[in-house]
Amino acid sequence: MRRLAWLLPLAVFLVALPALIRTGAPGIANYLLNNFAIQSLTWIALALSYDLSVGHAGTVSLAHPAFIGIGAYTAAVLTTRLGTPFLFNVLVAVVLVGAVALLVSIPFFRLSDVFFAIGTLGFASMAQIVAVNWEAVTRGALCITQIPRPGAGLGPVAFQVSNLTGFYYLILLITVLTVAVYLAVTTGRAGRALAAVRGDEQLAQAFALNPLVYKVLAFVVGAMLAAVVGVFEAHHVSVVCPETLGTFFTLNLLVIVFVGGVGTLRGVILGAVLFTVIPELARFAQTQAQLVYGVGLLLVVLYAPDGVEGVLAKVLRRARARTSLWRQSDDSKPREP
Amino acid sequence: VLFYEVSVGSVDFVIEQLVNGLTLGSLYALSAIGLALVVGVLRLINFAHGDLFMVGAYVFFLARLGGTMPYWAAGLATVLAMIPLGYLFERTIIERVVDKSWRVQLIATLAVSIILVNAFIAYWGLNPKMAPTFYSSQFLQYGIVRVAAQRVIVFVVAPLAFLVFAAFLQYTRTGRAMRAMSQNREACLMVGIDPHRIAGVTFAISTGLTGLASVLVVPLYSVFPTMGTLLTFKALAAVIMGGFGQIQGTLVAAYLLGVTESLAAGFISSSYADLVAFGVMILTLLVRPQGLFGRKVGI
Repeated sequence: MRRLAWLLPLAVFLVALPALIRTGAPGIANYLLNNFAIQSLTWIALALSYDLSVGHAGTVSLAHPAFIGIGAYTAAVLTTRLGTPFLFNVLVAVVLVGAVALLVSIPFFRLSDVFFAIGTLGFASMAQIVAVNWEAVTRGALCITQIPRPGAGLGPVAFQVSNLTGFYYLILLITVLTVAVYLAVTTGRAGRALAAVRGDEQLAQAFALNPLVYKVLAFVVGAMLAAVVGVFEAHHVSVVCPETLGTFFTLNLLVIVFVGGVGTLRGVILGAVLFTVIPELARFAQTQAQLVYGVGLLLVVLYAPDGVEGVLAKVLRRARARTSLWRQSDDSKPREP
Repeated sequence: VLFYEVSVGSVDFVIEQLVNGLTLGSLYALSAIGLALVVGVLRLINFAHGDLFMVGAYVFFLARLGGTMPYWAAGLATVLAMIPLGYLFERTIIERVVDKSWRVQLIATLAVSIILVNAFIAYWGLNPKMAPTFYSSQFLQYGIVRVAAQRVIVFVVAPLAFLVFAAFLQYTRTGRAMRAMSQNREACLMVGIDPHRIAGVTFAISTGLTGLASVLVVPLYSVFPTMGTLLTFKALAAVIMGGFGQIQGTLVAAYLLGVTESLAAGFISSSYADLVAFGVMILTLLVRPQGLFGRKVGI
């Protein structure tokens, strides 16, 4: 658990963040909260949900935008037509996306390696075409608009998100939940099984592990977590368009996961924060940012396959070796992407 | 559907759709056999393949910009520019990933795709450009069939290119070396084939073919930075349907795909035409992974 010691101060910092921002920079507090804090947390949650299958099961799925999108559309349709509350939307979206992911994963996991990636890409493209053209439900290119702010009435525990701080704590809660699920799946028995499956499928089978079970687990749990973020996004942005399902989402997630450090909690979190902060600070236009991401992704995959986390782990190991000669470094060895 | 039509012959609807389908099929075929060649020889999927077609389209657009260069010269210039570009692409990027895992290859080529698309958006903007030729607006009449002369050029040049390509693979030393590499890479080393040289030549030819595709179809469609993204997936669909890495199967699959898509667009709805392509691709993957015409080895 010492490896995760950095999570505690981070959590304290994140809980205090809105107060810090409001006192430190009241003039631009909303801007900072929205463009940095909420944005970073959203990407952290999404990237972690994606890393479950990419970093831990070792299967590159390109279908993640479809799951985010189905989650977002579920919330949008339910809440604008039936006025259902946030938590109910989350529940429906998670069950629906979980079912879809399960249905998709069983045939696709029969495909090996790169064909799985292509198959899921085909699925994601089809999902987007449906979102554009199934106008009766999705309103097509007109988008579903005026999605209300989240609220849920359950007597004493009723809550109503009324400002950005509310949204911030909501996405913080979702991110914490995602981290918890991420740790539950990737450590302990399941984590060891995933590592075995990723390393050598045949060898894992020889130890009576069913690779399919663990691949499907990582894929479906990742999809369900993505759906939760999708529901949040729908309520937060208040508009859901077919672009939510765009394949460029996958590219962004690949950039975060691989530049940060594939298969590592700290690396992915770092990647997501860098991904949000750098273009915002540099005041990049969308195109410039994408260009920089592309170059970054290429350089990382060619020259630093362990990403920022790999570099950081090395630096920390050296620093620790210098301060304490007897204490063994326990940083897990970074993986090959 | 990929592109807006610049000119459509107003004739019998079915024939019109077939002509469109064959044009689209030619585009898919020229792109897909280049992709299949790389898959067959190097066991690598180039996810930036369609974006190289986009680069070719811009090269052609530039060559035609003043309107002074005749079509054939601009076309030749485009293909001649694309061949070294492909070679350079292999030497700078592909060479570094060709021996690594499929994950590294996937991400590296996807990164190249992002870079190309966004570099072109940054420089040229998203507005579509037109590069029509004299032949785009000339029509030939055969009975009730009225076809743009440019399409006739496509129907003549594309098959010629396939023939030249097949002859190259069959009879030249380099072509034979490529076929050998697609069958057994290790054995190639033993008989003195240089895999690096063959890899470079493979990419040069693959990119040259997409350049030819640009030259042939760009006068009918428009040019914009994201035009290649969907093409990559369509070409990939044809490669998979054709039996991963087999040239002949890919060729047939590409035309099938083009015609099916066109008919689907004409008779069902243009918005769902792409669904057909992806649906067929996924079905092939799941039901007939060896491709529609299943043969086991080699290009």
